[in-house]
Amino acid sequence: MAPFTISGQQFQLERAEVERCLVNVLPDPVHEHYVVVRGRRFPPKQVLSCVTGLDRADFTTHQARRILKRLGFVAARAHREEVSDRRAETDTRDGKGSQETRQADALRPYLGQWVALAGPTEVLVAADRPEEVLAWLARHERRATYGMFRVPASAVEAEGGAPT
Amino acid sequence: MPVQVEDLVEAPQLCLVDTGSTANRFGAWLAEATGVDLSGAPETTLNIGGVTTLARHARAELTIASMRYDAPVSFCDPWPFAFNLLGLEGFLRFFRVTLCAAEDWLEVEPERST
Repeated sequence: MAPFTISGQQFQLERAEVERCLVNVLPDPVHEHYVVVRGRRFPPKQVLSCVTGLDRADFTTHQARRILKRLGFVAARAHREEVSDRRAETDTRDGKGSQETRQADALRPYLGQWVALAGPTEVLVAADRPEEVLAWLARHERRATYGMFRVPASAVEAEGGAPT
Repeated sequence: MPVQVEDLVEAPQLCLVDTGSTANRFGAWLAEATGVDLSGAPETTLNIGGVTTLARHARAELTIASMRYDAPVSFCDPWPFAFNLLGLEGFLRFFRVTLCAAEDWLEVEPERST
């Protein structure tokens, strides 16, 4: 348990509490900075607002990042992924197989979940139910340019039960 | 292939072109999400991909390759697959499809007569 002062208020925060708070929360779109909580990328301000109940206007992204890093969460910038997505679309030297491998790697954390993709490896949102994905897209006025689907958790889900 | 169902512009649905399917088969949740009324729709029990499912037959506006058209769709529950199916009646009769499995591409062109 670590003490923090945010917007003039004292908070005692711990990593497990942050993780618990976000179990049923879908991440908002990441614009630049993000923190990784249980394998999902959240905007730092969303996380801190969720945990403290403070308005997002009460603190800065850098404050949120600093606090969450002190609690042991990985914090990073999103632009690297976008660059790698663009490379995945245009780089023909590696061939299609390499691009498919990158996509499979990107989708592996979402097995069995519904995802909306903005690029070959850019997952906008992932949720257990398709309605949650649609609601998120509507709420954030985002578009799944690369489609929406459920990441198959097994070969049967991917290919059906047809004879091979 | 991404398919826009009704006015669900922000979330094109991933579909599999299935030349062995007589009709389009979609997950039933899509009917509710897009406001397609299934009350009173004719029902059939189907076996698809090793799964027994209840299919309710209706029509929906689909947009594929910039063409919007009115298609017959069977909305199925349960639908455990990762994709929806595009079949003969609701898809292939509206489009000319060229595919090359060796190079992993597929080309779709609206039929001139539709």
